[in-house]
Amino acid sequence: MRRRAAVASIIASAGVILAGVQVGAAVTAARTPTATGTGSGSSNGGSTSGTGTSSGTSSGSTGSTGSTGAAKDGTFNGTTVQTPFGPMQVAAVISGGKLTDVKVLQRTNQGGRSIQISNQADPMLRNEVLQAQSANVSTIGGATYTSEGYLQSLQAALDQAGFAG
Amino acid sequence: MHATFETMGTVVSLEWSGDEQALAAARAVFERADRRFSLYRPDSELRRVADGAVELLDASSELREVYATALGWRGETGGAFTPHRPDGAVDLNGIVKAWAMAEAGRALGDGDWCLNVGGDVLVSGQAASGAPWVVGIVDPADRASLLTAAPLVGGRRAAATSGSAERGDHIWTRGREGAEFVQVTVLADDIVTADVLATAIVSGGAASLDDLTARFDIDVLTVDAEGALRATPGMRELVSDSVEHATSAR
Amino acid sequence: MTIQNASRPAVSPSSAGQPSPQARFRRRSAISDLLVVIAWVSGPVAASLYLASGGLADVKDFGSFFTALGIVTGLIGTDFILLMLVLAARVPVIDRAVGHDRAIGLHRQLGKPALYLILAHAGLLLIGYGASSGINAIAEIGPMLALPDMITAVVGTALLIAVVVTSLVAVRRKFPYEFWHVIHLLSYAAVLFALPHQLSIGGTLAEGTVQRVYWIGLYVLAIGAIVIFRFGVPLFRSWAHDIRVQQVEWIAPDVASIHLTGRDLRALGAGGGQFVIWRFWTAGTWWHSHPISLSALPTDRHARITVRVLGRGTRRLTTVKPGTRVSFAGPYGIFTDAARTSPKLAIVAAGIGITPARALLEGSQLARGEATVLVRSSTDDETFLWTEMRKLAEARGAQLFAMVGPRARNSWMSQHDTSRGVTLRSIFPDLDSSDLYVCGPQAWAEAVVADARAAGLPEHQIHLESFEL
Repeated sequence: MRRRAAVASIIASAGVILAGVQVGAAVTAARTPTATGTGSGSSNGGSTSGTGTSSGTSSGSTGSTGSTGAAKDGTFNGTTVQTPFGPMQVAAVISGGKLTDVKVLQRTNQGGRSIQISNQADPMLRNEVLQAQSANVSTIGGATYTSEGYLQSLQAALDQAGFAG
Repeated sequence: MHATFETMGTVVSLEWSGDEQALAAARAVFERADRRFSLYRPDSELRRVADGAVELLDASSELREVYATALGWRGETGGAFTPHRPDGAVDLNGIVKAWAMAEAGRALGDGDWCLNVGGDVLVSGQAASGAPWVVGIVDPADRASLLTAAPLVGGRRAAATSGSAERGDHIWTRGREGAEFVQVTVLADDIVTADVLATAIVSGGAASLDDLTARFDIDVLTVDAEGALRATPGMRELVSDSVEHATSAR
Repeated sequence: MTIQNASRPAVSPSSAGQPSPQARFRRRSAISDLLVVIAWVSGPVAASLYLASGGLADVKDFGSFFTALGIVTGLIGTDFILLMLVLAARVPVIDRAVGHDRAIGLHRQLGKPALYLILAHAGLLLIGYGASSGINAIAEIGPMLALPDMITAVVGTALLIAVVVTSLVAVRRKFPYEFWHVIHLLSYAAVLFALPHQLSIGGTLAEGTVQRVYWIGLYVLAIGAIVIFRFGVPLFRSWAHDIRVQQVEWIAPDVASIHLTGRDLRALGAGGGQFVIWRFWTAGTWWHSHPISLSALPTDRHARITVRVLGRGTRRLTTVKPGTRVSFAGPYGIFTDAARTSPKLAIVAAGIGITPARALLEGSQLARGEATVLVRSSTDDETFLWTEMRKLAEARGAQLFAMVGPRARNSWMSQHDTSRGVTLRSIFPDLDSSDLYVCGPQAWAEAVVADARAAGLPEHQIHLESFEL
């Protein structure tokens, strides 16, 4: 490659990388727990500790492509929320006035989990499990019963005993 | 104190220490959730949004938040849990009950209480005798008897159970004839996680079980069609027969 | 046996009214350097997209470090692939600046690095995301595939692997050209299959960001270049100029000239020495296109190409019937007067290389005595088109030398002349102020170029057009 082209390439490359780092630093500074350049809209920011849910995605408006009606089509970036697993930001896609998709903009890709990796569920023998006595049990857990189903359930029996006792 | 009341198509059993105000607060939470999210009420907000009468952007922030959370869980579980029915319609039944339970729990505060909504359990503190709250797990083969029981202590305040035998609208087993697990019980620190993951494991089968137990801080007990059990190490300890047990074989 | 003209050439500048070769060369090399810089810097720009989106701040531990690396390799790898598309698109600016051959050469060089980067992209992200989720890379495959558009991205990668593997020289040799070509066309599919996941789950290219605009712009450019210059322009021109075979004329035992008719052929703007990629529409030839140099400058209605029969494909060409439709792409190449950089012109041609040499001589702006030509042949059989060359040289005032005889060992010249002490400089005394155009069989031509380099001739004054045989 000609020397002139080589030198110009090296200088331009270095400049481009430096510019990227600078812009990135500015973007990171602006991107603290809530505001990420979104418009108006209620935001429930904040994290719930120790869980996998991220609360608070508000629809700010960045880039609406609809008309001036009540429902604007387009993609709306939510605020960035700090979850235990890193910053989380979602975007809601409105099309035809309906929410058609929610996209994850910032994928949480940080560690922070303190879960044991070896949490595998292994087979267990029936005779290993505690033989449960209703008397020792506070409440009954099982697949959801309807209001009618409740009447025949163990929980109903427990409740009766509780009211009586 | 004890109380039961109907809401959201099922029955709530509440045991707590304190006054009537707590009960009223909890009832109000469920009533509001029912009004907003029930697809069986023609005037619920979710119904109106699903019918297109109300724009989703104009819906309450709570509804949008619940939907976004459900979608987030869809991503987390690789689609095993999804708020969409096979025909594409949005159905938040799989998450609103737990959502309401969590909110009711906040309303009930930090005292001692045990909240059971249709078989899903959320507790705080301990039972009257000073012992931990203990949840009995129904045997899916014989609903009149218990499989086992587990104390709700440590980071395990919530217990949610999903069953394929009694399929709710929100579980669609992924592409297989019979479900691998007929019942899945998940213990976790919050009820939404427990409920969503229990549903996801019923839907996604053994693959989801291995994936989700590795990635989330939960304990799981599963029952398959033959009645065979699988349990995570933590669950094994909780339900185990012997009182003094060495650390599990793993 | 050599023939030498009696008179010595007079040194004279090139014809008036045109910018001098040096001026044209400066302009061309400026454009060529600019293109090279753009190509090189596109890689760092791709990486910088990630940096500018605040990516560095996300790197906090083992997992996120690998994830960051995975993202950057994906960006640079795709940038390489888009570059490869542009290089193969036959963009006129690129052809005029560096020549189609050099562009394809760079295209080939980028193939393996691009594939390695894409594979690294996949592997590093599996490791990084897996580590952040507390699982190993293999276990991460499941959740990764559950993300939107990931299955199509994997299909795209598989296609890319197939394309690159079949293009490895060792593999390519084993298969017929047509088979390789069909597989290579899958590269378009590979690019399109990989695009959705970049836009849907590529965090760096999130909606509403400048990065997304840039990335989509890059795709539009690359795909647009292919659609316009590789398909659109040739299709239109083929239809507009309506070229058909007039006659096949054998001028040597294995060499034939194919005469073509058409409309407005001078408007093609073919410079002497350029080649065109032809496709003859008969049952046995339509699926194989051939790059063949024009052996004469086209008139408005007539063009001529000359082919040497090397195999089945070229043999079939010589059997096409008059009236056969011909579609084409081109003309391409900088083996022309336009690539001149110096006051004088030196041409060395052998075998089928006489074809572009003849066209070059015909098409160049030449003052009398400006050009010197050497035609080389091992035997008397290889002297086709020499008569035409002699006539042209006379008409243009160029000196013509002929060197016939078996090759000396380690030289491109004949035994007889090497033993007489003939060198490049003795044939071309003004070599240092000449452009040397070499065309002929590959090994022989490269030997000439090596000799020229050894004689100290600068690279920009050496022009090479080499042929299979």
